[in-house]
Amino acid sequence: MEKYFLENRLNINRRRFLSRLSLGIGSVALGSLLIPDLFSGKGDEAEADFIPGIPNFAPKAKRVIYLFQDGAPSQLESFDYKPKLREMMGQELPASVRGNQILTGMTAKQASFPLVGSFYDFKQYGESRAWISDMFPHIGKIADDICIIKSLNTDAINHDPALTFFQTGAQQGNRPSMGSWVSYGLGSENKNLPAFTVLLSKGKGNGQGVYSKLWSNGFLDSIHQGVQFSSGEDPILYLNDPEGLNRHERRKMLDKLAELNDMNYKEFGDPEINTKVQQYEMAYRMQTAVPEIMDVSKESDDIVKMYGPECLIPGTYAANCLLARKLSENGVRFVQLYHQGWDQHSNLPQEMAGQAKDVDQASAALVTDLKQRGLLDETLVIWGGEFGRTNYSQGKLEKANYGRDHHPRCFSIWMAGGGIKPGIVYGETDEFGYNIVKDPVHVHDFHATILNQLGIDHKKLTYKSQGRRYRLTDVAGNVVKGIIA
Amino acid sequence: MKSSHKGFAEGTLFALNIFIVVLLIAGDSLVVPRWLQPVGRMHPLILHFPIVILMLAMVMEFFRYRAEFINEKLYQTFTSYLLLLGALLSSITVIMGLFLSREPGYEGDTLQWHKWFGVSVAFAGYGVYLIRHTSKYTVTLAKAGAVITVFCLIVAGHLGGNLTHGQDFVLGPVMDKSKNAVPIDQALVYNDVIRPIFEVKCQSCHNADKMKGGLMLTDSAAIMKGGKNGKLFIAGDPAMSLLLQRVHLPETEKKHMPPTGKTQLTDDEKMLLYLWVKSKARFGKKVIDLPANDSLRMIAATHLKPAESEEEVYDFSAANEKEIQKLNNNYRVVYPLASESPALAVNIYNKSTYNVKVLEELSSIKKQVVSLDLNKMPVKDADLKTIAKFENLRRLNLNFSDVTGKGLKELAGLKYLKSISLTGVKLNIADVKQLVAIKSLNELAVWNSGLNPADLQSLQKQNPKLSLLTGFKDDGKALKLTSPQLKNTAVIFKQSYALLLSNPIKGADIRYTTDGSVPDSIKAASYKPGIILTRSTAIRTRAFKAGWIGSDTVQFNVYKCAYTPDSISFVKYPDDKYKGDGAKTIIDKELGGDNFGNGKWVASQKDLTVIMWFNKPIDLHSVGLNVMRNTGSQIFLPAGVEVWGGTDQNHLKLLSTLKTGAPKKSDPFALIPLECKLKSEQKISCIKLVAQPLKSVPAWHPAKGKPGWVFLDEVFLN
Repeated sequence: MEKYFLENRLNINRRRFLSRLSLGIGSVALGSLLIPDLFSGKGDEAEADFIPGIPNFAPKAKRVIYLFQDGAPSQLESFDYKPKLREMMGQELPASVRGNQILTGMTAKQASFPLVGSFYDFKQYGESRAWISDMFPHIGKIADDICIIKSLNTDAINHDPALTFFQTGAQQGNRPSMGSWVSYGLGSENKNLPAFTVLLSKGKGNGQGVYSKLWSNGFLDSIHQGVQFSSGEDPILYLNDPEGLNRHERRKMLDKLAELNDMNYKEFGDPEINTKVQQYEMAYRMQTAVPEIMDVSKESDDIVKMYGPECLIPGTYAANCLLARKLSENGVRFVQLYHQGWDQHSNLPQEMAGQAKDVDQASAALVTDLKQRGLLDETLVIWGGEFGRTNYSQGKLEKANYGRDHHPRCFSIWMAGGGIKPGIVYGETDEFGYNIVKDPVHVHDFHATILNQLGIDHKKLTYKSQGRRYRLTDVAGNVVKGIIA
Repeated sequence: MKSSHKGFAEGTLFALNIFIVVLLIAGDSLVVPRWLQPVGRMHPLILHFPIVILMLAMVMEFFRYRAEFINEKLYQTFTSYLLLLGALLSSITVIMGLFLSREPGYEGDTLQWHKWFGVSVAFAGYGVYLIRHTSKYTVTLAKAGAVITVFCLIVAGHLGGNLTHGQDFVLGPVMDKSKNAVPIDQALVYNDVIRPIFEVKCQSCHNADKMKGGLMLTDSAAIMKGGKNGKLFIAGDPAMSLLLQRVHLPETEKKHMPPTGKTQLTDDEKMLLYLWVKSKARFGKKVIDLPANDSLRMIAATHLKPAESEEEVYDFSAANEKEIQKLNNNYRVVYPLASESPALAVNIYNKSTYNVKVLEELSSIKKQVVSLDLNKMPVKDADLKTIAKFENLRRLNLNFSDVTGKGLKELAGLKYLKSISLTGVKLNIADVKQLVAIKSLNELAVWNSGLNPADLQSLQKQNPKLSLLTGFKDDGKALKLTSPQLKNTAVIFKQSYALLLSNPIKGADIRYTTDGSVPDSIKAASYKPGIILTRSTAIRTRAFKAGWIGSDTVQFNVYKCAYTPDSISFVKYPDDKYKGDGAKTIIDKELGGDNFGNGKWVASQKDLTVIMWFNKPIDLHSVGLNVMRNTGSQIFLPAGVEVWGGTDQNHLKLLSTLKTGAPKKSDPFALIPLECKLKSEQKISCIKLVAQPLKSVPAWHPAKGKPGWVFLDEVFLN
């Protein structure tokens, strides 16, 4: 026994120690081979859990059309029916209901917060008996095809941060837009059109701006940027050949340009160079694909009657809805519409009626049109704004004239198709329409659910930039199982 | 064993343990390359060796200092080697396990516990081996080390078994299988609906071993008996029942059940409990004995339905990735439905490049294609033969293609086809019936395919499960036309104006008037291209078409301006905020529009005076000013306008004045061209124009007493 102990001590001499140490360092080195980012400082292109362009699991929806109602339409005059507010018309908002809600600068100094009920009546529609305001009779007709969510809530109380939050998952900006994430995650279905397109229209109501940062690719490859289609002669700026240049010459020019770019790429290795070449090529193909899509003259009379005659006037919401259907039908992954003019701080009954008239028929027609083409089950349609509006009047309350301030705690949107349960109403607010009492859906949850329908695990759709991985849902978000069919 | 071998083994053991530390520190950023994955997957195989060897070594270590063994050379040497071997093997196993854990599908608490216990085994084994030769090593230490290592080994092994075979694998066969789905016609309300709720959510605290609150929820007698706070419920009166009171208390209340931290009841479960108590809390009732419209029955039915499997499973293998890449081109996109899925979707675009070859080339992946999109492609009936070869096709889009109903019989062999879209394809009902005979079909889109509604209705009746998408039907209600649009780009002209009106609706009749009256569809002039205007005109126009309601009337104003001054300058400057692009803003032939802040208007609260010069004298007989009225924004018509003229700046005469009436509260927003007519035509080279704002805003306006604003965007000289 003693001999063992002695041997053991003798064994640990300097040479032995050093040789052991070298073995240890060897192990560390071997291990480091398995940790790609350890010494590189730069993220590798391929994420372990996610291959760009391929969904994680079989998707319910292949495409999204997002009908964004910019400026925040009032939930209390659209989809969240609150008869109590009419009963209590003019009475003060109870402090217990308001709780610790911080108000905007526009009403924070208001001496009184008189509750105001909807100027418009509500009716129940469809087998789901969903309550929908009289301003939206066409949407009422498709009540059994849509899922109304009354319990959306957001972190932001002002337009720009709220809008940016909805579109990019963060309030500050500079992040990729949801459409860009989808383009990155799923890739393009049609190589002749951008995977992410943007259409703008404007109502007569009090409006808020939309900016190109909302469809920015952020840190993603610029091929995922949203492409705006405008209503004028040139739907996409600079797409047409200059006068006198024929298509053959354009082709020759692009080939030469590609050679030069290739030389440049070989020298510097900047991936943006390849992106640029791809974009030139796509633009070349878009020169034939886009005019065909923009041409609405071949649409049948039925289509005009469905969407309303305005759909033939470029730049209107109805025309954009029709265009959205055509783009989506042609494999555009994400079509983002914005309709401005929903910011009713005053004169709400009159302004909102005008806004509703702009969008009601065409929004409903879009859902019906997709359905009759057998496309609704693979296309997710979303309708909604960036937050809700207060249950009390901003400014003086008159019988037929009042306004509503911003309200982030609850608001209503609807979704249709894309594997979302049709004909249900999800979530509930209290009888004052101020707080959520059941099944809240946060903006992050909303994003997680959309990605889920597209076959993407929102936790796996990541991109590494400046030393950290980013997600559309940041570090939050739960898929709302209750609305999935 | 030679001591050099032993030294080598010890060195390796050291190296392996360092390696484990590195892997643990790397944590989630560890990426196992594909070629190393098989090594990880051998973990479940290799682990059996350390279990046996290390355990035996530890048993021997435990008894090492026993009198009968302490001097047994063989026992001591053997233990030493066995321990070394055991420690080595457990380190290798741990490394493999760490590799394996990075593969998809391994997550959760069990894995984490398994990982740390496994790592503890390796470290404990090595630790014992390291210290067992030192003089401080004692009997107690030897026994403690052996016991800890074996404990870790057993726990790690057990958790590993759970990971591989699933929880309760060992006892599974002898355990109660009540979770198996019960067909609804046999299900009992209590046994199959209510009891499972108690089992999962309540019994962990309310069972025979652990009767919290004196309550047991394991059998009907105990449930009826209640707990120390009395009876659990009053049959038929859920509102007064303790069970439901506790369940419905806010979660923050101490008495809320289940306690916070435990899995809560879902809304459906709460509702089921409520309805069960309401229906007198019977134990023997069958679900189907309840009336069909009973809420309890309806909720119970959804509760009993087995969860449908979400993802479709395909029984074919994946296609070659290179082949898929090769088949992709600009107008044919082939993409996998999801990662790890063999199924492919194909979209075809561009009418002009489509022909049947585009489909024939896909023969190498004909098994894998489950979705085919040929929307608006000129697909012929003959092409359907090629499509029929995609034997696993689930979804086919032939909207607005050139196929006819007759060709569709080719598709009858597609036994997995679920959805087919034939919108815009001319069909007759017999063709459709052939398609519907495909058993798997559950969605059929036939809008705009010329089928008559009665046939479709009977088809739907015969196939209630089929989702037959017939789409929009014109309800015959007339819609209102959109108003005509003015297609001219300019509205100010010098000599003549070729009016261009249009309406996007094909065949709309555009009527118009120029006298201010509302146009109708009979008397008003019908618009034809080629109408020339020669003076400033207000055109009112409407569109009409049979079957439509006439559009709203719109008014377009076009303005004649025969002369443009050669130079212009302000005498009295406008307000700094509204100075436009200088004085030339009012002669730029561009109107300002509705928005007064867009820089196309000049405005002032004082007199706005401009002076204009002409190189050659002109014959002036009228001066027009286009001004804005926007009472809410304190913008009023100028109270007065003066026109001065002469041969040069120093010889000006007052040629004309204009006064506007007092503003009224009800004046609507408007853009108004004011016109000052000159008494006689004058030869003039210089004009001075003065627009005087309202001196004092009337008392009914919030800005009463202050001067009004004058907004001017254009001057017309004729």
